[in-house]
Amino acid sequence: MSEVYINQLHKDDLPWIIEYDESKCIQCGRCTATCSFGAIKPAIEQRKVSGSITEKNKLEKVIVIKQEIGFANHCRGCGMCERVCPNGAIKAVRNTDDRYSIRYRAKTAESVKKGGRSNLNTEGRTLDKIKIGRISQMTDPSLDAVRHTFEIKTPFGRVLSADKLNLNVKDGKLERTTPLPPNRFIYPIIMGDMSIGAVSWRMWEAMAIATAYLNEVCGIPIRMCTGEGGIPSRLLKSKYVKYMILQIASGHFGWNRIVDAMPDMVEDPAGILIKIGQGAKPGDGGMLMANKVAKYVQEIRGVPKADLLSPPTHQGLYSIEESVQKMFLSMNAAFNFKVPVAIKVAASVTSVSVYNNLLRDPYNIVGGFFLDGLAAGTGAAHEISLNHTGHTITSKLRDCYKAAIKQGRQGEIPIFAGGGLGQTGSFAADAFKLICLGANGVFSGRLLLQIAGCVGNDTERCNACNTGLCPAGIASQDVCLTKRLDIDKVAQNLVNYFIATDLELRKLMAPTGCSSLPIGRSDTLITVDKNVADRLDIQYVC
Amino acid sequence: MKMIKINALKDNDRMSTQALLQLIEEKIEEGYTDFEINACGQHDIGGSSWSRAEGEELNFYITNPGQRVGAMARKGTNIYVEGSTPADVGWLNSGANIVVKGDCGDTASHCAASGKIYVSGRVGTRSGALMKHDPKYETPEFWVLKNTGSFSFEFMGGGIAVVCGYDCAGLKSVLGKRSCVGMVGGVIYVRGNVADISKTVVIKDLDEEDKKFLKKGMKEFLTAIDKKGLADTLLDFSEWHKIEPLPIEEKVEKISVKEFRETQWVEGGIFGDFIEDDLTIYPLASTGKGRLKQPVWNKDLCINCELCIKNCPNNAISKDNNNHYTSCDNKCIGCSICETVCPKNAWTMQNNKKEIS
Amino acid sequence: MCRIGAIKSKKYIHPSTALKLMRSQQEGHDDSGFAFVMQDLGGIFETYKELPILSMAATIEGTRLAEDILHDLGFNRVLQWTPDINNKQGLKISPMPNYIFEVLEYPKSHKYATKEEKEELLVDTSIKLRKALEENHSGFIYSFWNDVLTLKEIGSPKDIGTYFNLWNDDNDLSAKIITAQCRQNTNYGIVRYAAHPFFLEGYTVLANGENTFYEKNRLYQEGLYKGYLGFESDSQCFLYSLHYVNKILKWPLEYFMHTVFPLSYNDIDKRDDHQKEILLRIKASLEHLSANGPNTVLGVLPNGNLICVCDPKKLRPVVIGRNDETVIMTSEVAGVNDLMPYRDINKDIYPREREMIVVDNNLKIQRIEQ
Repeated sequence: MSEVYINQLHKDDLPWIIEYDESKCIQCGRCTATCSFGAIKPAIEQRKVSGSITEKNKLEKVIVIKQEIGFANHCRGCGMCERVCPNGAIKAVRNTDDRYSIRYRAKTAESVKKGGRSNLNTEGRTLDKIKIGRISQMTDPSLDAVRHTFEIKTPFGRVLSADKLNLNVKDGKLERTTPLPPNRFIYPIIMGDMSIGAVSWRMWEAMAIATAYLNEVCGIPIRMCTGEGGIPSRLLKSKYVKYMILQIASGHFGWNRIVDAMPDMVEDPAGILIKIGQGAKPGDGGMLMANKVAKYVQEIRGVPKADLLSPPTHQGLYSIEESVQKMFLSMNAAFNFKVPVAIKVAASVTSVSVYNNLLRDPYNIVGGFFLDGLAAGTGAAHEISLNHTGHTITSKLRDCYKAAIKQGRQGEIPIFAGGGLGQTGSFAADAFKLICLGANGVFSGRLLLQIAGCVGNDTERCNACNTGLCPAGIASQDVCLTKRLDIDKVAQNLVNYFIATDLELRKLMAPTGCSSLPIGRSDTLITVDKNVADRLDIQYVC
Repeated sequence: MKMIKINALKDNDRMSTQALLQLIEEKIEEGYTDFEINACGQHDIGGSSWSRAEGEELNFYITNPGQRVGAMARKGTNIYVEGSTPADVGWLNSGANIVVKGDCGDTASHCAASGKIYVSGRVGTRSGALMKHDPKYETPEFWVLKNTGSFSFEFMGGGIAVVCGYDCAGLKSVLGKRSCVGMVGGVIYVRGNVADISKTVVIKDLDEEDKKFLKKGMKEFLTAIDKKGLADTLLDFSEWHKIEPLPIEEKVEKISVKEFRETQWVEGGIFGDFIEDDLTIYPLASTGKGRLKQPVWNKDLCINCELCIKNCPNNAISKDNNNHYTSCDNKCIGCSICETVCPKNAWTMQNNKKEIS
Repeated sequence: MCRIGAIKSKKYIHPSTALKLMRSQQEGHDDSGFAFVMQDLGGIFETYKELPILSMAATIEGTRLAEDILHDLGFNRVLQWTPDINNKQGLKISPMPNYIFEVLEYPKSHKYATKEEKEELLVDTSIKLRKALEENHSGFIYSFWNDVLTLKEIGSPKDIGTYFNLWNDDNDLSAKIITAQCRQNTNYGIVRYAAHPFFLEGYTVLANGENTFYEKNRLYQEGLYKGYLGFESDSQCFLYSLHYVNKILKWPLEYFMHTVFPLSYNDIDKRDDHQKEILLRIKASLEHLSANGPNTVLGVLPNGNLICVCDPKKLRPVVIGRNDETVIMTSEVAGVNDLMPYRDINKDIYPREREMIVVDNNLKIQRIEQ
């Protein structure tokens, strides 16, 4: 038997411990064949067969399944072994005495990296402390979620106040006299914002198919944001690009292809999103580890196989004035001022200043303000950013909306809020509450992964998106893993989830007597938390 | 027959609904059967009572009632309203005959379950909503000479409605907009244009039974509202249709997402320029190309002990006459047991092809 | 619940007509208040069409305060009319000590002022009076405008009529347009201001319903114009939106309908006229003025036209009855039946969703489809 030293990594240092019942195991090998992390392996152990104190010990060799003890291949708790075991002989169990991140730093002199969401969700979600409490009873009738017509659409693009529309009266009708900024009217939920590379080609295409299907077949005008990893020319040149919001982040990946495709595009894209920051790791740029930079990702992005670290800021934008005048102008100009251009920033103490600045933009070229809160997900981040930086979405959204009210300019730059939405399973409830607090719409990425089959959660399960070893084939570019993903099923699941969400939104709009989106209807909300009530200016109840 | 006349407005003093209804009930108890009521907007006149006079019915002759004329009225009650009425005429009608010689406000015949409601004018929005029919009772009928407001016949569950579309030239729809949403039973006969109707109902031509019913019913209806002269016009069946709910199995199903991808999506997939993806789906613990790892045998290290053959859970390993070992790709799932049990490291696990081209 | 009515006639009518109009609709309201606005006045006010009339209810202190403010600004009283009070026992009413209806002469400084300048002065003075009276809870100012008289009180409409001696149509009050409502505001506190009709600069609005978008309407309107204040009732939002669209933006009337009850984006999308883009723009820009919930809105415009608009689901009742001399819009047909039993009921109009009814000064009726 080998020597054991105290400074060796041991099983009880790891976040997950494999619980294995030898008596149930038939050594079928399915668990070890399945584990994408290599966290379990067959091993040979010795067992004492029989004997008495007077006899020499007789040992016998047996095959068992053993957990690997290592920094790279430790168990992430994804539970695939348990799924494939015919006898329930194996499962991953959370280790409450986990010392992994300490040991990792001590061993490697590196920062800890991971994907997923913040796992220090200690403060609880504000949204869960809010209920929808103004129910139409007697004073006005509740509407019927199925029977009545509901309008679930929101403007996307710069909205001018009525007096600045410069409308003229001619023959009793209004007519336009000056060009006006582009406006689109879209579903208040935007999906995606996950790059090609961060997610597998099948996952990305499934989202695109689901988006197209929801629009074309279901009449739900949902839009998808491409993320910062470029977009395949085939999609750019198809009619479905009209459902896509093209993202440009500091890496500017894939934009040469977009420019190249312009003459062949049959439709304008739904919009452009300039990504300045994201809620999961504010102030940090995109990160795609080399093992996910597959050949096609290299092509689309124009880079070799290497860790791709986008800078935290767009080179050349070092002030908000420059952002507006340079970046917004360029992106507006790219599609001849016909496509709304929005900006995405991480929620921050400074968000209101940013929003105020944008509201005062004299050129009316800021078409949307995407505010991403700290519970947002990511494909890869330093744990320190993920767990310790960021700003909650709810109060910051509210602050921005109230800043607009103060100037009488609510709705002029539509606000879209995101960051951990759908965390408790119901996207509709989160969306409705944020809309009541002043959002024009909401967005979510991580939830889509869970709809697709991601087993990760907010309490440290899996969250190995950064490794490229995603057991569900979602956040991976590995052929064997990606092909675990059924593109049609994923797309169908996404479609079904959003059809359900659409119905659930009506189920909240109906009893509150809203036949159109309750943007800014904070009077519908109540909370049992006095602090939340004071901070958000909604009714305190007990 | 005992008759009484009640004036519900004297000078500026208006009887409250409660006072009026209690007075009527008192008189019914006394054996009165016929009531002439000059109302001033009082609600619920003619509802839910019954004659105490043996073999006689209750008759109400009303001017200017308020809402819910004939609410919950029973069989054996006849209500005649001279002029137009506000909302909810015949609400929950349970068998009365109600004649309105004028228009009705919104939600006329709401939840009517039996009896007949005849209207010589138009009726308002949501009229005929939730009409129903309990087969133990007579079918409710709701006859309207002109048209209905929008959202009519929502959630209709049974009974017969007849909308004659008289004097409706120029109307895009004699049923207003968005009618018949949630309708699951009953039938609506309609004359004239119908537009913007629920997708879960079907508009059909009349059959002989329908015509027979309309001929007979129309005569009674026109007699009751004093418009017998309209019979010829209204019985020209070329302008009539009937509306019934679609049977459940005929409701339209959406195409599947898979079908959408195969028929409408970008051909060859949007990554077709980069990737050849045959869309195979690998199960967990797959064999063949779906394995994460595959075993490779090293002849030089093998001592031919056959431990691998004995322990391979999938019987994937075999040897030939030259003691040459192979692992069958279609059986092996890449579990690594061969590697583990081999005393000489003759089997090693290799990662499968990791990247798509 | 409330019941509303608007009467427009070619001849002068007395407020008792409004009382009679609402009488049969009593079970439709809660008998808790009565308010009316009279426009295009006859009787003793007929000769003062160009001069502003102050309608106010106040304590003695409040009356003095208002008189001082008006005096300081240079207004001079031309005529004062006081209702003939009948304070008999048992009336269900909570009266104020003083009711003031007075015609005033503009200050000398405004002798040669334009119409706009005069209107500005009236608005500023109204706000000043309102704030002063509010500060020490000494009264309410309902309207300060030419050719307009307003009365609002808490109590049973019938008794309010008796108290002010309004059932007798031989007193000095009459007008060609009367809008009236029965009910106090029972959703919120009992505030005299909260009773419809609401009046602002020649625009009068009353609504039967519940505007569930009140809060967001209010937050937006508060920043739009100094005259948009109070917000004691969610229906005031309709008045301010009408005023904003028609008077401030100077848009044609039909755009009021497109503002408070905009077509759905899908319906706008289906339009092929040049209005498609305009309607989309208006809807987005005035999103915070869109109303929601069941509502019937009646209104009077500065030019004397009556309007009626219903919510897109047509959830509240309204009917229009008429003869050659008079048009009546009201919640329930029983009210019309009482006043015009012998009219041709085939000419009655039941307004639909998605249309605006306009009655002009010749009583011609126009139905504008949205």
